[in-house]
This record gives sequence, C-alpha cells and structure tokens, in this order.
Amino acid sequence: MPAIELTHLIKTFGPVRAVDDVSFSVEQGELFGLLGPNGAGKTTAIRCMLDIFKPDSGSVAILGGAMSEAKKDKIGYMPEERGLYQDIPLDRCLAYLGTLKGLSQAEVRQRAEGYLERFDLAAHRHKKVKELSKGMQQKAQIIATLLHQPELLIVDEPFAGLDPVNTQMIKDLLREQRQQGVTLVLCSHQMHLVEELCDRIVLIDHGKVMIYGGLEEVRRRFSGNALIVHADGEIPALPGVERVEPVNGAVKLHLSAGAKPQEVLRALVAKDIPLDRFEIAMPTLDEIFIRVVQSTPQGQSTPKGQGEGGGA
Amino acid sequence: MTKILRVAWHEYRRHVFNKRFLMGLLSVPLVMLVMVGLVFLIFAMENNTTPLGYVDYSGLLADPLPAPAPEKPDKPVPILPFETEAEAGSALAAGEVQAYYVIPADYLSTGKLTVVHMGEVKAPARRQFYDFLSVNLLRDIDPAIAARLTEGAEVVVVSPDGSRSASSQNWFNVFLPMIAGLAFMIVMFSTGGYLMQAVVEEKENRTMEVLITSVSPNQFMAGKIIGDISIGLTQIVLWGAFIAVTVLLGRSSIDFLRGIQISSQTLLLVAVVMFPSFVMVAALMAAVGATVAEAREGQQVIGLISMPVWIPYMLMAVIMENPNSPIAIGLSLFPMTAALTMLIRDGLTILPAWQIALCAVIQVASAVGAIWLAGRAFRLGMLRYGKRLLWREIFVKN
Repeated sequence: MPAIELTHLIKTFGPVRAVDDVSFSVEQGELFGLLGPNGAGKTTAIRCMLDIFKPDSGSVAILGGAMSEAKKDKIGYMPEERGLYQDIPLDRCLAYLGTLKGLSQAEVRQRAEGYLERFDLAAHRHKKVKELSKGMQQKAQIIATLLHQPELLIVDEPFAGLDPVNTQMIKDLLREQRQQGVTLVLCSHQMHLVEELCDRIVLIDHGKVMIYGGLEEVRRRFSGNALIVHADGEIPALPGVERVEPVNGAVKLHLSAGAKPQEVLRALVAKDIPLDRFEIAMPTLDEIFIRVVQSTPQGQSTPKGQGEGGGA
Repeated sequence: MTKILRVAWHEYRRHVFNKRFLMGLLSVPLVMLVMVGLVFLIFAMENNTTPLGYVDYSGLLADPLPAPAPEKPDKPVPILPFETEAEAGSALAAGEVQAYYVIPADYLSTGKLTVVHMGEVKAPARRQFYDFLSVNLLRDIDPAIAARLTEGAEVVVVSPDGSRSASSQNWFNVFLPMIAGLAFMIVMFSTGGYLMQAVVEEKENRTMEVLITSVSPNQFMAGKIIGDISIGLTQIVLWGAFIAVTVLLGRSSIDFLRGIQISSQTLLLVAVVMFPSFVMVAALMAAVGATVAEAREGQQVIGLISMPVWIPYMLMAVIMENPNSPIAIGLSLFPMTAALTMLIRDGLTILPAWQIALCAVIQVASAVGAIWLAGRAFRLGMLRYGKRLLWREIFVKN
C-alpha cells in the first residue's frame, strides 16, 4: 500500500489549472522528491494531499485512504513559508503545536528537550520566536514537524536559509528518519541534495507530471548520446563522435544520432588508445531539470500564477 | 474535543496573560476607583462638621429637641445656641461655628430667617439645621406624624402586574441592565478584535498552514470562538466581582447602594440574548479575520459591522421615552441590535415573554448562522495570502 497515491488530480483556481491530471504514488519508507520550478503546482498538490484544498477531480489516498483527523496526527508537514507564532517563547510554541498533534504536555517537554539540544537551541528555548535568527527559526520549524514522530513527513525546502553545517544536520536527520521507516516527501530546488537523498522523484511543470520514476532510471533515460572517457593521450577523430569536450581531466564524447557507445569503445580499442575509464555520461538532476523545464511549450515564458496566492 | 480545548486554551492564555489585556482589565476598576474616590472627595468637601449656631428670638427653640441623625454619607453637625447675635458673631469670627442662623420673633408668621456666614453653608449642614428646626416645630404633634412629615413620602411606582417596582431607594436599578448591556458590548468588540487580529496574524505569519494540518478548520474555529468568549467572560466576571465588592463595601457609607440588585430577568436576558450575541459577534470576527488580507483592513470591516450594534445606544432617548414603541420592538428583534435594546428596555418596562422568547430564538439562530459563515470563510480564506476573500465567494463557491 503506497503512503500517498494521487490519481488524475485536477485543481483549478479561476482560469488557472494549477494541478493538471497529476498521478503518482509515494511508497512507504521511501524518500521521494517532489520537484518543479516556481509556480509549477507542487504546493497545490501538497495541499490537496493534506486535504487543505479539495481537488476539482481525481483522488488522493494518504496512508491507505482519505484524510481523517486521526491521520493528521501521523503526518508532519513543514511548509515552504515557515509558520511559527512570533510573539511567544519557543518552548510554548513547540508545546502548542505538539499538543495539537495529540501529544501530552509531558511528551512534548521530553521530546522537545532532545531536539533542542541536538539543534543547539536549548539555550534559546525561552526566547520569543521572533528573537531567533532565520536559521534558528528554520530549525525550530523542523522540530515542530518532527515532535510527534510522524509516519509521513512532507518537507518543503527544508534547507532554505541553512549554513553548510546545519544543512548536513538536516540531511542526516532525513536519512535517519528514513532508516526508522518514515516515508518522506522532499520538495527542494537544491537538486544536488535531492540527488543525494531521494530514491524516486516526480517533476511537475505547469501543473503536469513531466518526469516520474527512480532517480537512476531517470538519469539513464536522460543520459543521451554522450560518453565520459579517461584516456592516456589525445582522442583521435572517431566514427559516430560529433564533438569532443574536455571535462574535469577527462573528455566528453558527444555521439551522433544512432551511434552506439559499444561502437565507440570498439573504435578506441582498435586505435589502441590506453583507457583508464569509459562510462556513459549521466546528466545531473540539475541538467535534467533545466532541460525538461525549457523544453515545455511554456518553458520560455514566465511561470504562471497560482490563483491561491503564494502557493506554487 | 481535546484539540478544540487546546486551541481555546492557547487563545485564552495568549491574550489574557498579556500586558495589553491586563491593562484593559484593570482600567475599568481603576476608573471606577477614581470615580468613587472623587465622589467621596466631593462628600468630604461638602461635609463641614464645624458647628452651626443659632440665635432664637421666637422662643420656638427654648428647650430644643436634638436634630435627627443625618442620612449617610452626611456627617452630624453640632448645632449650638447663642443668646445674642454678638456672641454668635464672635464665635463665627473665631471659627467656632461655620455660620449662625437668626430666628426672628415673627418667624412663625413670616417664615423668614437670617443666616450669617463666612463661607457658603453646604447642603449637608443646611439640611441638618432645617431638620432640627422642623423637629422642634413639630414637637407637639404625634411623633409618628412628625417623623413622617420630616422624612417625606416614599413613592413606589409599581407595574400593573406587580412584577416590577421602582422608588427613590432603588432608582439605580433602572440603569443597571443598560450599563450591563453596554459593558457586554464593549467586551464583545474588544475581545472580538483580539480574535480577528489573531486570525489575521496566523495568516500573515503562515502559522495557519501548519495548524490546519493538525486540526480541522471547524475545530480550529470552534476553539478560537470558545477562547474568545472565555476571555470576554473573564473580563466581565472580574469587572462584575469588582463592582459587587465596591457596592458591598459602599453600602455602609452610601444609602442608595443598598437598593441595588440585579433582577432575575436581567440574568435571563444575559443568558438567552446576550450570550448568543457574544457567540455571533465572535464568529463574525473570526470570519472577518479569515477573509481580510491584513489587520488594518479587518478593523475597517469591524467598524462597519459594529455600527448597527450601537444604534440602540444612539436611539436611547427614543427607547426610554417609549420602551414598547414599534421601533424599540423592531430593534429588539434585529440580531445586531437586539441585545442592547432588550437590556435598555429591561430596566424601563415589562418585556412580554413572547418578545424574550422570539428574541432568544433569533439570536441563537443568528449565532448558528454566523458560525456557519465563519466556517465557510475559514475554509476558503485561510490560505489567501495578501488577497481578500470576496463575501460572495462564501455563498457561491464550494
């Protein structure tokens, strides 16, 4: 049973179709990347998942069925736009948000203690939230999301505003959650982090699913006709190679249409070129993202607005 | 239910344990203390206990009866006889008396007497001298009749069905329901303002998005309304307790405070008319908070909503002149004006049972309607950032 299953989901705001026939599923225990440019419809899709918005058509199954009040206590959600009470002390803010997730005051105190220590916020617990730095507020928001030990965690841009040390801390935390069997949905524009953490991804653009699948499979699908060759010496002209491009001490061979990597390898061996390494050039997620977004008919135009004001 | 109470407690705690609220809470008792202090100061200034003198040429005060004890808060003023005006004049010059009266020989036929003073003789002392004179003029009449003539009559105005009465001893009771109504209105709108502000802030600082993934919009709104009403009741109860203590303490010093009492009908109106009105206003405030983009805009909308509520206050003279006029009854049956109108009328007339019942039904229905409206507004407007929800959307959009 998938943790989340969206089937032909459609949501419109006035004339704008923010989510357009989106279907994908998130398996239990996986770390799933939900990607897309600004205004692509990611936040609207998340809000539909969380029953904040009712979809116009299609269905959402979360933790095995429709959203219920009991299920809300099993879900942790950290929105892109951070939401903490600014004018109350941090510990009181965490206590309130924790008890709304069904925890007792004692449980909140005990769990918050550990997280505050871990995130280096223990000394700031009595400060008003507005007195904390942006990075501290970010960490406080993550604590509020994790306090009730959710089964499903949806985090939107969790690394925004964090320095490298704290970014590493959050990465470790997300991995730790996955090891504990928590299902995670990660929304981020930092593709290298998504690449590092996620098992599978979906890329939405203009409300539609553009890419969906395992990360390696997607990269392979977009690998195109290029090879990375580490060789001792110059690479001569080879049949099927259109262009040779130096890349980090190696060369990238761009193949012509229809040329096969095996044929190039055979040609290199035939020419007695000493090879240290020969591999299919896999694109980074960044490259895939740019390629997909720019290839859509609307890709060159300004991203459309989302009707609900501020959502993506 | 637990989550509703948690939202309510958070709302309550956030506002009640807050300097601004405590200042507001204490401002009324402080103002009252200042007012009571001023009243006592005025009484103290009026109460000059320096003796009064008199020179009697009429013989009416040859062997005088003592002056009757004055009514509180007047303090007894000794009344001293002098043989001659010269003696009295010396005593006045020496400050031994504040004034002296000269009762001429033909006083009985002319009714004229003379008062000689350095400063004005204040009313309490003047009253006591006239009471002293009256008691002695009436000394040969039956003491009961004399006492009645001195004290005057206490006219008690009674309604035909005997259910209501008013007299000079309890005239203040006429104004009590009106004052209670105004106090409720002030509390309703001030706490409603907190509620609206809180909802707008939760939208502005994006807390709303986190909250509604923990509680349903209806639970959230119900918690907010319960919290808001609890804040208002805290204010009312504390003010009421302060007033009750003040009245109890003041009874021994100020006579008219003894006649103050709240009728069971006033309490009934508070329960069946005022309370649903409170719920209605709180729900409307929550709805305003959910629909507007920023607090300032919310204040403007509240200003518009609160205008009809104060119509009875503006038409108070008309209602007081004829509390059973069609306009008074009409205002009693209109949701936004009913509460204040009913409480103003409560002090002045017998409210027919059907009007109380109909008004209660209308207010309860209005409160339910306002909660529904607030629920819709919440659902549709809670995540509108920087963009106002149109009221027509609440009614047409799913």
